[in-house]
Amino acid sequence: MLIAFISPFYWTSHILILAGIIPLSIIGRVTREYLNAVIRIILPATGFLFIMQALFQPLPGKELFRIGFLHPTLESTLFAFRNAARVFAIASSFTLFLLTTHPRELMTDLTRRGLPPQIAYVIISTLQILPQMQAKAQTIIAAQRSRGLDTQSSFLKRIGSLVPLVGPLVFGSLVEVEERAIAIEARGFASTRPKTSLYDVPDTSSDKILRWILIALVVFALAARLWLS
Amino acid sequence: MAIVNLQNVTYKYPLTDSPALQNINLQVNEGEFVAIVGPNGAGKSTLCYTLAGFVPHFFKGEITGAVEVAGNESSKSTLHEWVLNVGLAFQNPFNQISGAKYTVFEEIAFGLENIGVPRDKMKQRVEDAMQLTGISELAERSPYSLSGGQQQRVALTSILVMQPKVLVLDEPTSQMDPIGTREVFGVIRTMAEKGMTVVLVEHKVEWIANFADRVIALHDGQILMEGTPQEVLTSDRLIDKAFGISRYTSVARKAKELGLWKKNELPVTLEEAAQGFALNPTPLREKKAHHEN
Repeated sequence: MLIAFISPFYWTSHILILAGIIPLSIIGRVTREYLNAVIRIILPATGFLFIMQALFQPLPGKELFRIGFLHPTLESTLFAFRNAARVFAIASSFTLFLLTTHPRELMTDLTRRGLPPQIAYVIISTLQILPQMQAKAQTIIAAQRSRGLDTQSSFLKRIGSLVPLVGPLVFGSLVEVEERAIAIEARGFASTRPKTSLYDVPDTSSDKILRWILIALVVFALAARLWLS
Repeated sequence: MAIVNLQNVTYKYPLTDSPALQNINLQVNEGEFVAIVGPNGAGKSTLCYTLAGFVPHFFKGEITGAVEVAGNESSKSTLHEWVLNVGLAFQNPFNQISGAKYTVFEEIAFGLENIGVPRDKMKQRVEDAMQLTGISELAERSPYSLSGGQQQRVALTSILVMQPKVLVLDEPTSQMDPIGTREVFGVIRTMAEKGMTVVLVEHKVEWIANFADRVIALHDGQILMEGTPQEVLTSDRLIDKAFGISRYTSVARKAKELGLWKKNELPVTLEEAAQGFALNPTPLREKKAHHEN
C-alpha cells in the first residue's frame, strides 16, 4: 500500500498488481474472493475516480474530445489513470490482507508486539458485535412495525421512524455494554499480570526476510520520490 | 469453616437515598450450596455483585461493613485480583460472551489468557472444564451460533475454568426455555456434586430444593429468614411478602385446608408432593367429594 502511495513512477501500481497482488492471491487461494471484491467494489470505485478526474481535472494539454463544457485532455486522462491505478493497488492489497489474515491472528500478533489489549479487544469485538447489533435493529424495526410504525413510505416519514428505532437500540446497547464490561472483568480482563495467548503466531525467518525487503522497497520508493521531486 | 463472611454489610448505589443492602450478615461454609430467593428489588443481584467484588469496585457507591472471602477482604483488594476468589455468572448469556473470540474453546480460554496462564496448562484446563460441563462437542462452534442454554453453559464454563474458590450465579436460567433451564441446572448439579461452594440466586424454587443446603430469603435489602429449603420455601412469611413459591407447595397448602394433606411439612418438589399425597389411603377425588358434601 505504502509503495503504491509513495512511488513517483506511474508503472509501480501496475507492476504491484500484476506481479504482486494477483500471484499472491493465487498462492493464498483467495483469487475468486479477490476478483469478486475487484468486480463489486474496487473496479466501480476506481472507475468512477478515473472518469471524474479525467473529466474535471483542469490540466492543460492536448484536448481529446469536447462534449459541452467537458473537454478532457490527454494529460488529465493520464493523471486520472495513474491515480486510479494507485488506488486500485492500495485497495487490492488491503483486500488481500483482509482475505488472508484472520483477525484473531492479527490481534494476537499485534498484542504480542505491544498493542494494548484493550485496543485489540475494541477492534475485534466491534467486528463481531456489529452483525449482532444489526440483527437487533431488525428485531426492533419488526417490533415497531407490528405496532403500526411506517418504515416504507416517504423519505421524511422514514427519517421520522428512525427515532423509535434509535432509542431502544442505543439504550439497550448501553445496558449491554455494562453487562459485557462486568462479564469480561469477571474473567480478569483488567488483570495486571502479563497476558498469555492460546495461539502462537509463528514469525519464520522467511517472514522476517520478506518484511525487511518490503521495508527496503518503501525506503527506496520514498528516496525516489524525494530525489525526483 | 466459613469461606464467605459478610459482617453488617450496608450498601447504597451512587445517587440513591435508600440502601440496596442493609446490615447483611452472611456466612457460607466451604463446599456449601446456598440459594438466595426474593422478589424483584430485594437486593439479590446487589448481594451477588458484593460477593463478586463489583460492589463497590465497579459500581462505586457507599459500603460499610466487611466482605471477606477466603480470608481476603474485598475493600483491601482490587477487582482483578478479587475475581480469582469469586466467579460470577449472571442472567443474560448473550452479554456474557466476550465478543473477542471466534470459537467456544477460545472463549473459555479468554479468562486464562488474561491472568497469564501458560499455553499448555491453558489448553488442558479448558478441555477439563468443557468436559466437566459437557460442552466438549461445542468447542469449534462460534459462541454466537449457540442456543441460550448452550451459551449459558459456555458462560458458566468460562468462569469455572478460572477455578474460583466461590461461584456466584445470579439467576442463570431466568432467560432460558425449559430445555435451556435443564441444561444449565445439569451443570449446577455437577458443581454441587463436586462440592463447590456455590451461591445461587434463583426464582425456580423447585430446582433450588434439589440442590441447596441452605436457603436465604432476602426482602428490601435485608435477610428475612434462612434455613433448609423446606423450612424457608414453604414458610407463610414468604407468601405474605409476595415471594414466588413452588406450585407443589401451593397445591399442598390448598389440600391441607381441605384436609387432604396429612404431613406437617409442605412439599417444594414434585417428588415430595407425590410422596405426601401417596400417604392418603382414600383416593383424592372421593375425599374431595366427601369434603364438599
